[in-house]
Amino acid sequence: MRYGKLAPWLFITPTVLGLVFFRIGPIIAAFLASFTSWNVFSPPQWIGASNYVELFNSGTFWMILRNTLVFSLIYVLGVMVCGLFLAILVNNRIRAITFFRGLYYLPVITSTVAIGVVWSWILSPRFGVLPNVLADLGVHNLPSFLGDSRYALLTLVVVYIWKMSGYHMILFLAGLQNIPEEYYEAAKIDGATRWQSLRHITLPLLSSTTFFIGIIALIQSLQSFDITMAMTEGGPNYASATLSFFTYINAFVHFRMGYASAMSFVLLVIVGIITFINFYARKYWVETVD
Amino acid sequence: MKRNLVIALLATLLVASLSAFAMAEQVTLRYFMWDPEFQQMEAELIRGFEAENPNIKVEMTALDPTNFWPRLAAMAAAGELPDVFSMSTGYIDTWARDGLLLNIQHLVDRDLDLDNYFYNVFAEDRFPNKETSDMYAIPYAWVGSVLFYNQDMFDAAGLEYPNDDWTWDDFQKAALALTIQSNPNRAPEQYGFWWYGRYSHVEPWVYANGGRILNENKTRIAIDDKAKEALQFLADLTNVHGVSMAHRDMAGMRQQDLFPLQQAAMWVDGSWMVDHVRTVAGDSFRWGIANVPKGPSLEPGEERSYYWPDSVGIAATTKHEDEAWAFIQYLIGANRPVETYMPGKVPIYRDIAYSEEWLQKDQQPGNMELILALGDTPVRTTFNMGWSEWRGYASTGGAGMNGELDAVTNGQQTVEEAIEKITRDGNAVLERYYPEP
Repeated sequence: MRYGKLAPWLFITPTVLGLVFFRIGPIIAAFLASFTSWNVFSPPQWIGASNYVELFNSGTFWMILRNTLVFSLIYVLGVMVCGLFLAILVNNRIRAITFFRGLYYLPVITSTVAIGVVWSWILSPRFGVLPNVLADLGVHNLPSFLGDSRYALLTLVVVYIWKMSGYHMILFLAGLQNIPEEYYEAAKIDGATRWQSLRHITLPLLSSTTFFIGIIALIQSLQSFDITMAMTEGGPNYASATLSFFTYINAFVHFRMGYASAMSFVLLVIVGIITFINFYARKYWVETVD
Repeated sequence: MKRNLVIALLATLLVASLSAFAMAEQVTLRYFMWDPEFQQMEAELIRGFEAENPNIKVEMTALDPTNFWPRLAAMAAAGELPDVFSMSTGYIDTWARDGLLLNIQHLVDRDLDLDNYFYNVFAEDRFPNKETSDMYAIPYAWVGSVLFYNQDMFDAAGLEYPNDDWTWDDFQKAALALTIQSNPNRAPEQYGFWWYGRYSHVEPWVYANGGRILNENKTRIAIDDKAKEALQFLADLTNVHGVSMAHRDMAGMRQQDLFPLQQAAMWVDGSWMVDHVRTVAGDSFRWGIANVPKGPSLEPGEERSYYWPDSVGIAATTKHEDEAWAFIQYLIGANRPVETYMPGKVPIYRDIAYSEEWLQKDQQPGNMELILALGDTPVRTTFNMGWSEWRGYASTGGAGMNGELDAVTNGQQTVEEAIEKITRDGNAVLERYYPEP
């Protein structure tokens, strides 16, 4: 059966249309909206670059941008380290290993609202399990992990890492199981320790997986929203808010669509720069089994 | 035969044209409300209205507030607003300014006997001037601020219950006596009072002292000396006297649970919390409500109460103004069953509010008429365009004025510093909504 020259175009048309109407179209619309004052229910008014000017003159925006970068850095490193650690733990042929793999994966599929509520109960200074147990052990005057602006963001990152480490464990596990056993056997014969095997075999041969996980984790970190909403609502006073949360607040609580669109484009530029650096640096550290 | 045929044809034509006329008169109103919890009862109310008005059918959609506003905003953008919908005091000015709400003043003047309603409450639905301008929505219920107090704790401390003669000094002494801390290394087991930066915790004290947070036109933050005095009084309760918990220490808890879980002996909040206290506390302790004590700087004639309505409005785009108004009159009038009002939310229709069913003397607090009296005093509020943004409300409750005052309770800044930030940041928001002429 022969296809005409038109056939490939026909096959990709649905995808192209989907992209145009549901991705590229909204992106262009949001870009245009970022130059307007628009509260959704009234026609937008063209205000030039005022939203961007307001954004870069806003102390709150810079604080939230810093929060976002701190959050992303800790989150990406955190899920990588924890994910790899868990993956190495469960990359064994011992009894009940499937149970442990499932156990570590459980937080990933648990409702974020439930996670937010339970962690809030654990950490609550007055009724929380942790402060009360520690107080009984003689440890008093613990900080308020969620209510103190110095700790709220860090506490949230820990909860996000706890929730998502199981997901990255699965990805690392797939990478680990792709490394030929012969390398380890040869290293063992040469007298390599477990640490040397990890350092010189596992980590280099996991680099492509690590690169992939880095990208995924970065995207996840920049989309952080649900646990923040459930646990701190970005507070106190935006101390635990990140850009995605702040964009939502401005778009759907304050109905400042133009301002929120400007914010989302700043986020887009940041993601673009980090991704570019990541891809550029890839050739210097990513190795493959081949 | 021929004559019979003509008569039959004429009769058929008559019936058909009458049916067509009846069909043409049938009106369907779309009604959006924000309280799914009361959807069932609201549906019964609608059935009663439809029975009395067979030519009007009402299609109701109930959404919780988180979904209600984005959905309504999207409908407004598309020019598809429902004919009748719930309207919040926090949004009414913006919606009226943008021409989305029907000016209903002529209908109110024409059809309502104002003596039947808590008329003072109507003020919040006027735009742009809250005293003299026209109405763009109408309340079906309202709430006021009251002081909740735990009678068992007062009895245990040997204190008299709060009364209208209480000064702030009396209040402070009681709060100190009601704070119990047996282990100095741990937080008090019982606080005398509970407050943080929330609007319904702070504004009642400011107004009880004759203070203002906004200027006369409600277009700029202008915290006056009496308001500063009230804020300092509250801050000292936490930071100097230790009778109220710092905001950071209530993380992980709902603020409205502290009083019913007997963590605090007194608490000022909206009267709708009566329902919450009843639900959470049950009969575990005896409690009552009182007026917020008057401040030391309050002068005669300055008395203002802090109350605000839940309202319904008509879309400016409706094609069925008369039917929508008829429906609204039914919603706010004598027909509405008292069960459709959450305990503590006051029906706007006086007879229902003063009915035994609403006062519920057999249930705590037993003196609900105290709330009703608020509705007959002059009102002051901070609601204006941009209110949720500069005040810090709902999902942004940790920000704005709310967040700055929370930082005061956390000991992170002084009242003066907080006022400086509230004024600077709040006015930056308000300048967008009320630009300098």
